[in-house]
Formats: sequence, structure tokens, C-alpha cells
Amino acid sequence: MTILSQVIQYTISGITSGSIYAIIGICWSLVYLITRVLNFATGEFVMLGGMLTWGFHKAGVGVPVAIMLAITFTVVVALIMERVAIRPVRHHSEMTFMLITIASASVIKGIVLLKWGSETRTIKPFFSTEVINVLGAAITSQVLCVIGLLAIVTIGLSLFLNRTIFGKALRASAINLTAARLVGIDINKFRLFCFGLAGGLGAITGIVITPITFTGYEIGLLAGLKGLVAAIVGGWTMIGTVLAAFAIGLLEGFGAGFISAGLKDVFALLVMILFLIFRTTSLSTWLKKESL
Amino acid sequence: MRQKANLPISWILLIAGLMLLPLFIPSSYVLGVMCFIAIYGVLAIGMGLLLEHAGLFSLAHPSWFGLGAYVAGILAARGIVPPWMGIILGAVVVAFISGVIGAPLLRLRGYYLACATFAVLLIVEITLGQLGSITGGHEGLMGIPPLSIGGFVLKTDVHYYFFSWALCLGCLWFLSNLMDSRIGRAIKSFHNSELASKNMGVNIPKLKLEVFVLTAVMASLAGSILCFYLRFTMPSIFGFPLLVEVLTMVVIGGGKTLYGPLLGSFVTVWLRELIHMYLKGILPVMRAEVDAIFFGMLIIVILIFMPGGLAGGIDQLFSLGRKVFARDLDT
Amino acid sequence: MQEISTHNVLLEVRQLCKSYGGIMALNHVNFKLKKNSIMSLIGPNGAGKTTFINVVSGIYSPDSGEVYFQGQNIAGLPAHIIASEGISRTFQLVELFDSLTVLENAMVGCHTRSQSGMIACGFRRPSARSEENRIRDEAIESLAMVGLEKRASDLISRLPLGERKLVGIARALSMQPKLLMLDEPAGGLAAHEIERLVKLIYNLLEMDLTIFIVEHNMPFVMSLSEQVIVLDGGSKIAEGPPDAVKTNQEVIRAYLGMDVY
Repeated sequence: MTILSQVIQYTISGITSGSIYAIIGICWSLVYLITRVLNFATGEFVMLGGMLTWGFHKAGVGVPVAIMLAITFTVVVALIMERVAIRPVRHHSEMTFMLITIASASVIKGIVLLKWGSETRTIKPFFSTEVINVLGAAITSQVLCVIGLLAIVTIGLSLFLNRTIFGKALRASAINLTAARLVGIDINKFRLFCFGLAGGLGAITGIVITPITFTGYEIGLLAGLKGLVAAIVGGWTMIGTVLAAFAIGLLEGFGAGFISAGLKDVFALLVMILFLIFRTTSLSTWLKKESL
Repeated sequence: MRQKANLPISWILLIAGLMLLPLFIPSSYVLGVMCFIAIYGVLAIGMGLLLEHAGLFSLAHPSWFGLGAYVAGILAARGIVPPWMGIILGAVVVAFISGVIGAPLLRLRGYYLACATFAVLLIVEITLGQLGSITGGHEGLMGIPPLSIGGFVLKTDVHYYFFSWALCLGCLWFLSNLMDSRIGRAIKSFHNSELASKNMGVNIPKLKLEVFVLTAVMASLAGSILCFYLRFTMPSIFGFPLLVEVLTMVVIGGGKTLYGPLLGSFVTVWLRELIHMYLKGILPVMRAEVDAIFFGMLIIVILIFMPGGLAGGIDQLFSLGRKVFARDLDT
Repeated sequence: MQEISTHNVLLEVRQLCKSYGGIMALNHVNFKLKKNSIMSLIGPNGAGKTTFINVVSGIYSPDSGEVYFQGQNIAGLPAHIIASEGISRTFQLVELFDSLTVLENAMVGCHTRSQSGMIACGFRRPSARSEENRIRDEAIESLAMVGLEKRASDLISRLPLGERKLVGIARALSMQPKLLMLDEPAGGLAAHEIERLVKLIYNLLEMDLTIFIVEHNMPFVMSLSEQVIVLDGGSKIAEGPPDAVKTNQEVIRAYLGMDVY
């Protein structure tokens, strides 16, 4: 491949993974901003989407139905997690929630590993497997699905959060929890809703990306963490998260292509570490405003 | 409490018990399990210290364990240095790396530190797997000789049993002295109120780094012993599953006391063995999945129902006992 | 570091400025604090009083200006270094170490006057052990000074606010400072507790201590202080003995928002 087509290819793969990280990052934000819980099991929702679809399909169900079942199931898992592991916690400290969500991620991973083993799985692309050629680089239809999904999610969420009463109430709770409670908002329901939404979005993301990158019990960890990087670097805003996610995706794409494929995951992780370090050395007014 | 000049009764009983155990239960299997308890115990105690006493959410702890194992293992496997020196060099390397990484990272608060150290955990695991020519890659490093010190070769489980418990108790002793001293009070003080701690003269960044590096070195020593005991090591041992396991030990045992996580290690490891034995009859099961589910659920259950862990419960029993018998506490 | 002649001026603040979030918390503040005296800083809410203590004790760096302590400019130095120079303080919100006992809180105050490092403490070297005993004794003395030596092994959570504030003072005293800054020491205290506090402060003056009090409570401040400074909106609007300040028109206007004749 010529350099140009390489560049285009890496850009495409970068935008594809960036879109995924963006949605995952939004899942982290949804839960964190409302509940102040950093849900380390977010990546597992993504994994469940893909794995469950494969599992149901293997059990004999048609792909579209498998997808529906997988999403529903993941949402249920997320709701159960909120109900069983998050809500009963009496001692509300950051560390407790961190430990509990890490533990939940471990449980989910373990169950999947037990049921379906450790091999990677895949599902067929949604539409045809034709490839569009752009100056020597290939775009598959699945890639367009991913980008399309990102567009739908971001636009849909924006509309929801800004135009509906429920959405506005959610934003209000994110800004001031106590005031929200005082006007009668039931924070338990909101928390449940956010977990469910994160579960659903995560699952859909996992399903859409599986034809491209495959799935397996261990993908949740890295995917989740990269989504977290996007959310942190993006300052927990939707635009910021999307931009940061694209940046990470592109960095990964070019890094994997031009430097080393094996160390691809390390790039995103280094980005997070460096960003966090340099953020704290910049002047304190930033820190004072940050809620973490 | 006036610093006592001798070891208290509980220590003497513990040491006596541990020394007598091989006499009464000369089972290689049991001693082997006890080795693991001691080795993981060092990790757990360090993690408990960081999390509960210093308030540092460092999720990178297993990485130091792994690096200690790998440095010692690689150097010994290639015959570059004798094994015991591998242990020391491993500690030096880990001290250096943890110091360099810790200095900027420890400025981060709470969750942010957790995220950054989580990234470190994964980076180390991935890198160890990728540097195949040096580390043996994902399949692991083999051909590690047994530990030998000045001609004496540690071959049997009994040897490693005594060695690992010596390390474990040594670390516990060191750390409990430390936490009882001005350094320990300074650590607890910055956890409670950084503002007041600073104004009382505590150099917080320096102290955080010192604690971080100290516990990292201890983890490294434990990891080195593990690699000589197993004569083998691989990157996946030192990743997320180990993190969950160590966290389980801290949670079960209770982090408020120093010895809690060691108790947690004992309970966790034996419980796991029992579950595996029990399930062997029912499922032809692999260890990793069951562990993952088991540890995860244990953490959740304990955090919800018994946040103080076992040691928390024991401590409550003791203070109750003290009140009942009106023992004279020297103030 | 610039040196200026000290005479018996312990602390001199020159043109001190500090703003954050767009608000000027300290606006060219100037004054001198004499050794072995009691000076108070008063002013309406938001006047910059706690910011002042935070700047002097090293929590914040000033935007400009100097703080001379014993002739040396300490502005911008880290808090723990300023502490070892001999400046100690208490906190409006007390800020005790909840996981430590009363005695241990006081012992933390001795941190700057001890040296045992990690190795010495971890291995329980004799030097560390004897230093530990010395720290204990000194901390008990500090507790005795505030009348709390019987509560030494109590947990902080058991203590009422008045006693917690006393622990904070004992902790600050353990540092054996030259300058003791009290941030709203009388806040939230009952009348008898305030009386006890006044007695304590007079006792402290007997020792070689200089005391700087930031306070809201007027009668408390006026009865104790030799000199009073008034801040409003970050600027010093008055300075002098209590009687003069009490009748100063600007001060009255600042507090009441109107002229009083």
C-alpha cells in the first residue's frame, strides 16, 4: 500500500475505534455524572453485547433476534448490578464503589468465561461484506454502521437530555443532587435508569463492533478503560468525549500501523496517564472547579 | 501506647504456631498453600496499607509483584546472577520504576489515581507479554532455577514455606512498627486531612512516594520468591485477576488493621481451595473462572454486609472483651 | 532571600495580594506584628481573613507581596517548610485527624521537631524509640496546657466541639511555634467555653508566644487584643487598639452597611 492509502486506512480504523470509545465514554459519563460512581464494569456491558449475540445465535436463534435478546439481557444485568451491588451500599465512599464495580466486572467476566470459554468469537457483518475502495484503502459497510451508531447516539442523547422533561431532570440531578432530591426527584429511579441506559448503549456498541474486532471474555477491560480515557480527557462532556475518543482512536490507528501493532493498547493508556499528570500541573483554578 | 520493648503475645503465638505446623501437618500440599498465603499476604498487607491508611487508590500493586518476579526470574534463568541477587536487583529495579512513576502520579486524587494506576497495571502486563525475546512472551518464562543462598538450595515446599513466612512476618513487623511511629501518624494524618497535615509540617508528596515505593519493594520481594517457588512465571498472573484477588483479601480481612489483609489472605486462599475441591466432583472446571466469580461476589457481599471485614469484627470483639474484663490498658 | 531588620517585629506583611476566581481576596495588605503580642484580624464575611492565614501558613502562594517572618521572606514557600520555621495554626473547621486519638493528634504536632525516618521507625531503632517517648511526653504536656490530659486516649468522635477545638490548639502548641495563628477559635463555642479559651490565651502569652487571632466574635476579640486590624473586601480599612477600631466609622459601615452616629 502506498503511504497515502496507509494513512487513509489508519484514519478509517482510527475513526471507527474512536466512535466506539466515544460511546463507551458516554456510558461512563452517564453513570458517573448522576451517581458519582465510576463503574468499572462499563466495559463488560460492551463485552456482553457481542458475546451474548454470538451465544444466542449459536443456540439457534436468528441474528436480529439474538441482537434484541443480547441488548435486553445486558440491560437486565446492568439493572441487577445497580439493585444488588450499588444501591445497598451504606458506606458511600469512592473506594467502596470502585471495589464493588471492579468486583462486579470480575463476576460478569467469570460467568461468561465459564459458559463460553476463552476463545474469541465473531458475528457476521450486518449488511453485505462488500468493501468500498477509497484511494487504496478499504471501508467496509460495518464501519459505516459504527459511525452511524455514534451519530444516532450523540444526536439522540442530546435531544433527550435537552428537549425532554426527564432528560432535563437528569441533567439537573447531575449538577446538584441535593436540590434535585428536594424537588422530589427519586434518585434511585434515576440511578437505575442510567445504569440501564449505559448497559443498553454498551451492549449495542459491543454488537456493532464485533464483526470488525471480534469479541471475547477479556475485551471488556481494555475497551472500557479506553472509553474512560476519552471521558476523562473530554472533561465528561459529550463533545469533549467524542473529540478525545477520536484522538485516541487515531493515535492508536497510526501507532499500530506505523510503530507496533502489539503495543497498540498501550498508546491509549499512556495518553490517559500523561493527560492526568499534566492536567494536575496546570494551574489550580482548573482543579478547584473539578468535582472529582 | 508506650512502645513495648518485646514482642506481644499474639506475635509469639503466631510464630510458634507457624514453626510447629510442618511438624504436625507435614503435607506438601498444605505447606504449599501456606506459601501462597504468605506471598500473597505480603501483597495484601501492602495494598491494605495504601488503600486504608494512606488513602492511595493504587491499583498498580500487582505490577510490582510481577516485575519483581520477572527481573529475578530473567536474571536467574540466564545465569547472569545467582538467584538471591536476582531478588535484590528486582527490588532495586522496582524501587526505581515505582519511584519514577509514582512521583507524578501520586499528585492525583482518588478516582484519578485509580484510573492512572489501572492503566499502569495493564501497560506492564501488555509490555511483559510483548517483549517476547526477553520475557518469553505470553507463554511465560521458564527455566528459572530454584532459589539458592550461599550454597543452600531451597528445594522443597518446607524450605519455601519458612522463607516466605519469614518475609511475610518481617514485612508485617516492619510495617506495624512504622505505623506506630511518627511516620505512621503522619501517614494517617494526611489521609484524614491534607490541609492540617501540611500545616503540621508533614511533607506530603515525599511521604506518599516513600510509602508507595516501600510497599512496591515489598511486593517485588514477594513476587521474586514466587517465581523461584513456581520455577515459572507468566504475564497473565499479574493482571486484573490478581488485582481482584488481592482486593478480596483486603476486603475480607478488613483494611483498618495491618494484619487484617493477612487474615484475608488465609481465609481467601483456603476458601478457594475448598471450593475447587468441592466443585471438582461437579464440573470439570478451570480455576480462573470460578475464582473470578467467587472473589467478585465475596467482595460485594462483604462490602455490603460487613464493611469492616473479619479483622474489623475481631477488633470489635477484642474491645468488647477489654471492656468486660476491665483490663488495664497502658495509655 | 531579602533580609530586613527585625527589632521585635516577628511578622511583617507587605503589599500582600491574592485573588482567585476573579475575586481579590487580599488587596495590598500591610502590617507588622510585634513579638509576644496578641493581634486580631476582624472583618465581615468574605473579607479575606481565612485566606490571609492560608497565605501566611503556606497553603496558598500570594500573587504579589512579601511575608517576612523573623526577617526572612516566606511568601510562597510550601506549608510544611513554613511549619518547621515556627508558624503554627488552627482551623475554622477544626480539621482534626479522626482516625487518631486525642494524644496522637497532639503528637502529630511534634512532627517538625523529630527526625526518625522510615528505616529507623520500621526497624524500631533505639533512637526512634526514645524520640517517640519524648514526643509522647511533649504531647501530653500540650494536652495538659489546654486541660485535656485526661482525654488522651479518647477518640475524636467522642468529643464535643469545644474540646475538639482545644485539641486543635494543643496540636498546634506541640509544634512549640513562635507564631500561633488561631482561625475563628471562638466559633460555635458556648459562653463558658469561651471563658476557658480566654484564660488559655492569656496563659499562652506567658510563654514565648506571639498570637494572631482571626475572629468574628467582637467582645472576645476586643477584650483580648492589643492591636486589631480590620479587613473589608480584601483591603485593610483600619488598624489600632480595640477602642479606636470600635469607633471607627469605616469599620462600622463595613459591618452594618450604614453610618452610625
